[in-house]
Amino acid sequence: AAGAPKPLPSSGPKSLREMPHPLATSSSEEMGPALTPSPDLLLPRSIADKDLSLPNGTPVDTSSPASSSSLLNRLQLDDDLDGETRDLFVTVDDPKKHVCTMETYITYRVTTKTTRAEFDLPEYSVRRRYQDFDWLRNKLEESQPTHLIPPLPEKFVVKGVVDRFSEEFVETRRKALDKFLKRITDHPVLSFNEHFNVFLTAKDLNAYKKQGMALLSKMGESVKYVTGGYKLRSRPLEFAAIGEYLDTFSLKLGTIDRIAQRIIKEQLEYLVELREYGPVYSTWGGLEVELSEPLEGVSACIGNCCTALEELSEDMTEDFLPVLREYILYSESMKNVLKKRDQVQAEYEAKLEAVALKKEDRPKVPTDVEKCQDRVECFNADLKADMERWQNNKRQDFRQLLMGMADKNIQYYEKCLTAWESIIPLLQDKPETK
Amino acid sequence: MEDCLAKKMEIAVSEAEKRTGRNAMNMQETYTAYLIETRAVEPQSEGQCAPVDSLWRRYSEFELLRNYLSVTYPHIVVPPLPEKRADFVWHKLSADNMDPDFVERRRIGLENFLLRVASHPVLCQDKIFYSFLTQEGGWKEMVNETGFQLKADSRLKALNATFRVKNPDKRFTELKHYSDELQSVISHLLRVRARVADRLYGVYKVHGNYGRVFSEWSAIEKEMGDGLQSAGHHMDVYAASIDDILEEEEHYADQLKEYLFYAEALRAVCRKHELMQYDLEMAAQDLTSKKQQCEELATGTVRTFSLKGMTSKLFGQETPEQREAKIKVLEEQIQEGEEQLKSKNLEGRDFVKSAWADIERFKEQKNHDLKEALINYAVMQISMCKKGIQVWTNAKECFSKM
Repeated sequence: AAGAPKPLPSSGPKSLREMPHPLATSSSEEMGPALTPSPDLLLPRSIADKDLSLPNGTPVDTSSPASSSSLLNRLQLDDDLDGETRDLFVTVDDPKKHVCTMETYITYRVTTKTTRAEFDLPEYSVRRRYQDFDWLRNKLEESQPTHLIPPLPEKFVVKGVVDRFSEEFVETRRKALDKFLKRITDHPVLSFNEHFNVFLTAKDLNAYKKQGMALLSKMGESVKYVTGGYKLRSRPLEFAAIGEYLDTFSLKLGTIDRIAQRIIKEQLEYLVELREYGPVYSTWGGLEVELSEPLEGVSACIGNCCTALEELSEDMTEDFLPVLREYILYSESMKNVLKKRDQVQAEYEAKLEAVALKKEDRPKVPTDVEKCQDRVECFNADLKADMERWQNNKRQDFRQLLMGMADKNIQYYEKCLTAWESIIPLLQDKPETK
Repeated sequence: MEDCLAKKMEIAVSEAEKRTGRNAMNMQETYTAYLIETRAVEPQSEGQCAPVDSLWRRYSEFELLRNYLSVTYPHIVVPPLPEKRADFVWHKLSADNMDPDFVERRRIGLENFLLRVASHPVLCQDKIFYSFLTQEGGWKEMVNETGFQLKADSRLKALNATFRVKNPDKRFTELKHYSDELQSVISHLLRVRARVADRLYGVYKVHGNYGRVFSEWSAIEKEMGDGLQSAGHHMDVYAASIDDILEEEEHYADQLKEYLFYAEALRAVCRKHELMQYDLEMAAQDLTSKKQQCEELATGTVRTFSLKGMTSKLFGQETPEQREAKIKVLEEQIQEGEEQLKSKNLEGRDFVKSAWADIERFKEQKNHDLKEALINYAVMQISMCKKGIQVWTNAKECFSKM
């Protein structure tokens, strides 16, 4: 069990307030010297050391809650962010088309309601387009490389095949963008990210985008983990397991996507035939006298079933498939994070080995290697925490998605059932009773 | 209602059997034989149940029976046989005559045919029909002895010939038109229905793939595993359910097919009327021209151009004796002609009367049967919807436990 943490210097969720930060000696902005860390928390040893810096030498701001990422992650794992403890609400809605000389594009309204101190105002409403979301995601990946960043709907659509401005496409995209922001909002570390804040609040995001490249960000923006040279001998078991899980998971999702697409295709072909089938009864009804009404009734009934089927296929296309694809993209980006983790570990192990071979420094391990070790442990902690959170959310998302699929099919059959049941009295009607 | 055979006798086509034998050209052939079982309805003395008589017949014998009935009772809308070859099939259905499902449906169709004939007030009294049901040997010879084959050939020709009738009974003209349209619309319906069945089959079967992938997925999940696995099972059930659903629907298709073929029988009756009417009109026309000729010869005036008249003008007139002879022949022919015309007229009127009576009977039967068929179809659809709701509700419950 962790030692009682002291409150963080932020207006974070109340529940966290009750738990003082283990590394804070006071409620001041700066972190005090490190306390003895609890054995089960993989605390980076020198997190309170102001010399902690990222590989490229940029100092890390430890005053922001985002830097104590692993701790926050762990502490908030069981936190049920329901309406009471939630202090940040974000919604994406109201798509609008903009026609300019150079291009035509869609913007979405992003509304924020919050009580967090990081925000100057309690409410914000800004307009953002897809490339702004894309920019945000890239910034998050850069600045929070140890975390799993939610996916965006696909950037490119094949022109001519998909109408980028159709209601259905825009609505599907809106839902995905909304989900994207909500996932970030729910994340205890990502939701405090500076870029996220700006995205939600800035009137002129483009100005900030340009500015961001020039300024030296305290978050260490241009962090690019070293990619060259280091090869990991073996992935630790738990991360290997995650990797294998993600491989199989995305494979299975891919299969489900193909099956769902095939079903929709078959349904649409069935619909084509039904559309020819119904009217033939009507034609026949025109030939008959006594059977005229019953035959017309059957024709109308089939027509109703056609409408119901059309609705089912549309729903599956607009609601079911996009979520599947989102999770496949999610898996891909998660696998990349796993690879980055491997590289961090590889670098550490290589440096450690180099030191061991040199035998220069005696018992004291050089700070360079120490920093690597901290980075590894930090990464591992963040990743594990995020994985647990992801697994939980995934379970809920799929539960909802699949229940939704079942629901849509039930509704389809209920519509058809109503149609057929309603014509039974018509069919049984005897001429004398008329 | 007259007491028809169906009331006195239970009739069933209870079995079908594959047989091999030698055909007319002494070549080996495989065919299916059907067992016809009959039993008197009236209870026998001593309160015992009547014994069951049975005999085997093959499809070609049924065809012979029907041909005989069509020729012998041209004013009756004769019930049709089930199709000779599997038509309007969708991919799962076999077009093979020896396929067990086809044989089974044919068995039912043949039984239906016999019951239709047995419940027809006129046809059920036919002795050939009775022998078909009860006399195993020598039936074919009996049929041929009736000499119906001769009539059959001319009838076939007549049914397909084109001729113009000046004064048909309008009701028959309309009815023929109706039967043509009915054939067309039911054919169209059956074709599209087969395609619909094919597509529906595809939709259901693809869902079976969910079963497998959910099972594979559940293997890597902890909490979600059970829910996925059991939901997958329901997807398998869903995929399998289409087989029974479509099998039942074939029965509906068979009911439609019966009336598709009935339309043909209806058309035949209309054509028979047209034939008779044409015959009548030709005979009347012939009589008129003969009378005219006679008159011309008698009065010496040529009102109409005739080659004979021309040649006689060119090559000399006939002698009075020759003329007298001709007139006498004509007068005899006219006498004959008038009698024939009278009987043809009577025949025609009788035909129209009795045919129309049977047509009215047929119309009522058709309306009743097709209504029943549509109701059954709706009931089948309702059952399919309920099954669908059940399966997806079960699956939803499994998903909720994820």
